[in-house]
Amino acid sequence: MNFEAVIGLEIHVEMKTKSKMFSTSPVTFGDDPNTNIAPLDMAFPGTMPVVNKQAVINAIRVCHALHMSIDDELWFDRKNYFYSDLPKGYQITQQRRPIGSEGYLEIETSSGKKRINIERLHMEEDTCKQLHSWDCTLLDYNRAGIPLVEIVSKPEMKTGEEAMKYVEKIRSIVSFLEVSDGKMEEGSLRCDVNISIMPVGSKVFGTKVEIKNLNTLVNIQKAIDFEIKRQEAVLLSGGVVQQETRRFDEAKKETVLMRVKTDAVDYKYFTEPNIAPIKLSKQFIEDAISSSPELAEVKLERYKSLSLNDYDSNLLISNKDNCEYFDAVVANGANAKLAANWVLVDIQAILNKEDISIKQFKVSPKHLADLIKLIEKGTVSNKQAREIFVKMQENDADPNELVKAMGTTLISNESEILAIVKQVLDNNPQSIIDYKNGKDRAVGFLVGQVMKLTQGKANPALTNKLIVQELKER
Amino acid sequence: MSYLDLNIYEIHQALLDGKVTPLELAKEALSRAKADTNNSFEYISENEALEAVEALKNKDKNNLMWGIPFVIKDNFSTKDIPTTASSNILNGYTPVFSSEVYVRLINAGGIPIGKTTLDELAMGGSGMTGHKGFTYNPYDPSHKHMVGGSSCGSAAATSSNIAPLGIGSDTGDSVRKPASHAGLVGFKPTWGRISRFGLFPFATSLDHVAYFTRSVEDSAITLGLLAGRDDKDMTSSFKPVENYFKNLKPCISGVKVAIIKEILDSISDQYIKETYLKTVDELKAKGAIINYVSMDIRLCKAIFPTYFIISCAEATSNNANLDGIKFGPRYEGSDYQEVMTKARTNGFSELIRRRFILGSYSLLSENQKDVFLRAQKCRRLIVNRVNEILKDNDVIYLPAAPTTAPLFNASADKLSDEYLIADNYLAIGNFAGLPSLTLPLGKKEGLPFGGNITGRAFDEQMVLNFSLGLQEITGLKNLSSKEGK
Amino acid sequence: MKPVNKSVLEEAAQKLMFEMDEKQYDTLLEEFHTILSQLELIGEIPGVDEVEPMTFPFDVTNSFLREDVTQKPLDRDVALKNASDVVDGQIRLPKVVG
Repeated sequence: MNFEAVIGLEIHVEMKTKSKMFSTSPVTFGDDPNTNIAPLDMAFPGTMPVVNKQAVINAIRVCHALHMSIDDELWFDRKNYFYSDLPKGYQITQQRRPIGSEGYLEIETSSGKKRINIERLHMEEDTCKQLHSWDCTLLDYNRAGIPLVEIVSKPEMKTGEEAMKYVEKIRSIVSFLEVSDGKMEEGSLRCDVNISIMPVGSKVFGTKVEIKNLNTLVNIQKAIDFEIKRQEAVLLSGGVVQQETRRFDEAKKETVLMRVKTDAVDYKYFTEPNIAPIKLSKQFIEDAISSSPELAEVKLERYKSLSLNDYDSNLLISNKDNCEYFDAVVANGANAKLAANWVLVDIQAILNKEDISIKQFKVSPKHLADLIKLIEKGTVSNKQAREIFVKMQENDADPNELVKAMGTTLISNESEILAIVKQVLDNNPQSIIDYKNGKDRAVGFLVGQVMKLTQGKANPALTNKLIVQELKER
Repeated sequence: MSYLDLNIYEIHQALLDGKVTPLELAKEALSRAKADTNNSFEYISENEALEAVEALKNKDKNNLMWGIPFVIKDNFSTKDIPTTASSNILNGYTPVFSSEVYVRLINAGGIPIGKTTLDELAMGGSGMTGHKGFTYNPYDPSHKHMVGGSSCGSAAATSSNIAPLGIGSDTGDSVRKPASHAGLVGFKPTWGRISRFGLFPFATSLDHVAYFTRSVEDSAITLGLLAGRDDKDMTSSFKPVENYFKNLKPCISGVKVAIIKEILDSISDQYIKETYLKTVDELKAKGAIINYVSMDIRLCKAIFPTYFIISCAEATSNNANLDGIKFGPRYEGSDYQEVMTKARTNGFSELIRRRFILGSYSLLSENQKDVFLRAQKCRRLIVNRVNEILKDNDVIYLPAAPTTAPLFNASADKLSDEYLIADNYLAIGNFAGLPSLTLPLGKKEGLPFGGNITGRAFDEQMVLNFSLGLQEITGLKNLSSKEGK
Repeated sequence: MKPVNKSVLEEAAQKLMFEMDEKQYDTLLEEFHTILSQLELIGEIPGVDEVEPMTFPFDVTNSFLREDVTQKPLDRDVALKNASDVVDGQIRLPKVVG
């Protein structure tokens, strides 16, 4: 018997606003425990939630990117339950009227493009962080109240690859929109998977299993693929799939049981009475969207229009920080193709070697742009540029200054170069013959010889021109 | 005579004239607080009062709260001053921030005399359920009568002249009912008129900041200070604040006054009824237009269950933060559930636990439509009817309570089929969020009773002006339990 | 509607994180009897199910949202001063599993 899987994803994205969803304490990561707390975050009696405007703007931007309809009135609900990490005894969320509903996104897998429909997107708040040691649990309220958006897909994915691509796309969207770091390893993007299998063609869904705590894209795919096989094996051996929660064991590369689900928890949702309904004007929604940072897809189109090739464009948008750097270099007047080359090749090599991100890279986009301009003008050769670049990395030195100080300015005096060109041609008669026989490569060789004699100081463009001119005359 | 026995605006004049100093007033108020025999206080804030006097800047003839002693219900958060909501679950809790109301009073130069007792977590109407026991009606030195609740301590302290202003909260009638039993003016302005930031929530959709004074004038003065938008409370209103005291003038002639027959008919105390009807005659004589209106008796009878279901449901969620982990007495256990369960079992009285179960039952997904949501729908029907009445009328005027202060009765906190419409109708002011004021109408066997005026949303000025006219008719102003002693 | 009996109420109490004794449950059952019969009367009011549930006393819709600006957080000592079991600047609980 053949089975097909039905996979739905719930993704929680932690927003990197300045302040929390409902309080004014700072949103930070990695600070000392319990140092970023407002009274609301610890649920002191009498505190009241006040909705963060930027969190709403962020949610609108994500909704728009996911082609969702956006509610023009905000309502919040309480989800009531007791747990050690839940300070108020309820979480403020949007159960009845999520800000976004009925959207989709397109993914591209090895078997082609596919549209995944999205049921809802709602805003809510994070819980406090629990640090488990061997004998106790310690509570850190810094995380309590950090704004979250939860994105719930329709159960329309069928493979681990599709789910992985879906999460990858969501991650790209939230990070390009600057809504979130989207770092799965650090928990700023968390993914829960619901998965069941049924005989191919069946209309009746099988029993749903939840997989929690998936912290990398690769693990999502692996966990799902394993789980599909596991459920198939259970059914084929005549067993029944239990309704349960599992987690992915990285070492064993398999999903393992966390707990069997009993009755669904009754969260006793009701409208949050502390937050009067908030009307979002058409203007507000439009402004949130029009002022939104560029999505990866939009960037891709723009890069192609800058005549970057597909490979470079795709490579650039695979890393948002690189894009930002690249955009800044181009904005400072550098040629886009040269800029892409520097960012993707030269800089990338250094970043890899030093294991840093481009944000930590010393050379500013402005100065890289200046350097590229020097190359374009022919003021420095590529070789010289690379030497200058090494110096620039020390303290982001101005390449124009470096050029002056190093005296590396090219020999651009025509008669001076011409003399050397003549000397080179005299010494390489074979090259002249090659040229006459239509071998253009000979020019390159001759330029190289001139450079050798001048220690690379001859203006390459001028040298080239003079060599061709001289060859024609001979 | 002590200046402390006067109204706020009279004390203000005496302060301006230098006849009395804030320190003298504070000391007098503190000594009266210490001598209190009615169980009015959770905490007497002697140091804080003296510090507040010390911190006073120059007097200002336009700031009537300057140097005025006040007491405040112990469910308002006060930084560094213990706040328990009269519940064991908050024993030892010292807030890290202050409520907006408290901050406004202190900034204006008010002098905090103490935190007053309440029914546990404000969830009661008898003044019997706080963790410090019964709060007594100051009009009855034999301590047989309740003052009513839940703002029992503020009522008792204001009525015994410990301070001319007692801050309370009103979710069903928690200021307006005790005001009737204690011979006070008790005012609950429109929902959203006063910020609730820092008020421990009981039932958010019904909770109001409200307060006791001994005259309508003082009520107008206090509103001017407390009213106004606060960005920390998303439900607080943007509507501009009027100068309620400056605009205060008796207003009766031409005012359309509705009397809801079904509510009046449910009052059996003939003396209270007759006294009330006498004032109605006098209002008519002064040019008021009296309209007897009707409210479906089924709606009238639904007021209490509707209130009960909504308030218990919201309360069970609002108090879910009380678990002994972040604040309040902590109990050890083998897991977090045991830690919480011990704290909540020991911390809440039996009554509170019963209310929470009722509230949580009404919210279960299986029940919500038939219980909680139906109560919310019934709330709308009641509100629709009240607003219809107020479309054709400027105010609704009725007795505030069917009786004078009841005797303490051990079963008063238990839900019973026997209840009077007139004993619970004030909650319509909470359902609809309307400004509603209780003021004294008379006394029976030494115990006061009051009338209640309810107006349109944000029409506080009309309610105050009409009440001032009524106060002139009754001549009952600045009543105090001290006179009777 | 969920039937009301002692085991349902016990489950409710357990979910609300407190305990009650036998006598208290008896009182509660009486109260449920009272409130549920009053609730039936509400259900009989004409038009009750034709209106929307009411959360806010009147239309309070506005468009205020808080600017995303931080304020100084509480000092840790202040934030934790009401907690009884604090270790390394964190509140301690018995080990939470699952």
